[in-house]
Amino acid sequence: MTILELMERVGTKNETLTIAYIKDAIHLMQSNTKEKIKVSKQDVLNASDSDDNVYRLPADLIAIENISILDTSDSRYKRIKRISSQPHYLLEDTSP
Amino acid sequence: MSSYVDKEFFYYLRGRELLLYKLLGSRNRTRITQTGILQSYHNELMYPDENIENGLRVEYTALNEPFVAEALETTTAKYSSSTISFSDGSDTITDSTNPFVTAGFSDGDKIRIQGSLSNDGDYTVDVAAGQLQISNGTTTLETIGERITVTQIPKEVASDSVDSTSSINLNKMLCLAVVDYVKAMIHEERGEIDKKEYYIKEFYSKLADNESNKRIISSAFPVSPFAVR
Repeated sequence: MTILELMERVGTKNETLTIAYIKDAIHLMQSNTKEKIKVSKQDVLNASDSDDNVYRLPADLIAIENISILDTSDSRYKRIKRISSQPHYLLEDTSP
Repeated sequence: MSSYVDKEFFYYLRGRELLLYKLLGSRNRTRITQTGILQSYHNELMYPDENIENGLRVEYTALNEPFVAEALETTTAKYSSSTISFSDGSDTITDSTNPFVTAGFSDGDKIRIQGSLSNDGDYTVDVAAGQLQISNGTTTLETIGERITVTQIPKEVASDSVDSTSSINLNKMLCLAVVDYVKAMIHEERGEIDKKEYYIKEFYSKLADNESNKRIISSAFPVSPFAVR
C-alpha cells in the first residue's frame, strides 16, 4: 500500500504528518510483535577496568530478542543468561 | 579460545548499555588473585578476560526499512536453478536458459542470492537477456553446479526520499492496521477520544489477526473406532 493510498483511506492531505504516524505505528508493531528482526555484532574485549565490559545497545533497538556470545571452539553463537541485578563490587585484593 | 560461553557469560542491562560478565572459577580459569573480581550472591563474576571478534550478538526488533519502492505484494520474482554462473570483473549473473525476464525481474530490482559458494548477498541489478548486471557490488567467479536461488526483495527508500508514492514495507493486513492507527491519531487531534479508542482497538485486533494468520491451528479429537451407541 502506498502512502498516497493510505492518505486517501484516512482522508488527510498532510503527507509529512502521515509519514510520522506510519513510523509510529510500525514502532508500536515492533514493540508488540516480531515483524522484522535485525542483528548487531560487536567485538568482546579483554576487560582491564570497569568500563571495558560496557557495550552500547544498537541505537535503533526497540525490543531485545536475544543476546548471544560466539563460542570460538565450535564457531557458534550461544545464548547467554541475564542477571536481574547488577553485581556489587568487592574491594580489590591484589595479593596472591 | 572461548568455550562453554552459554554457561560462563552473563549480561546485565543498564539503560541503553549492556554489561558483560564472565563466571570466575570455571574450567578455563584458575583463581590466583582477586583483581577485578565481582561477586553476586554466591557466584563470583569477573570482566571478560579475552578478545572475541564479533563475539557479542544482539538480535532485536527495530524500525527497519519502513518504506520501500514497490508494494510488498508485487515483489514476487523468483528463480532457482543449478545452471547459474557468476563472472569475475564484469559483475554479471548468467543463466544460459534466459529465464530472468520471464521470472519477473526488471531493471532496478533488488535481489537476494542464496545457495552460491561465494556470492550470497543482496544486490541491485539491471536485467539483460539471460543475465543480471549488478549495479552495486561485485561478484567472484563461480561456474555452474550449485543450486542457486535468486529472489526479489523489497528495495528500501531512503528516509529523506520518502514521498506519497513510496510503499509501506508491510503486508496488506498490517497496512490496514496502520490505516487504523493513523485514523486514531487524527481523531485524537480533533479531541474525539471515543473514536480514537475504537480505531486503536481495531489496530491491535489486526495485529492479532496477522499473528494468528502465521500459525496453522489444528485440533484433533480422538474417537474410538468402535464407539457405537
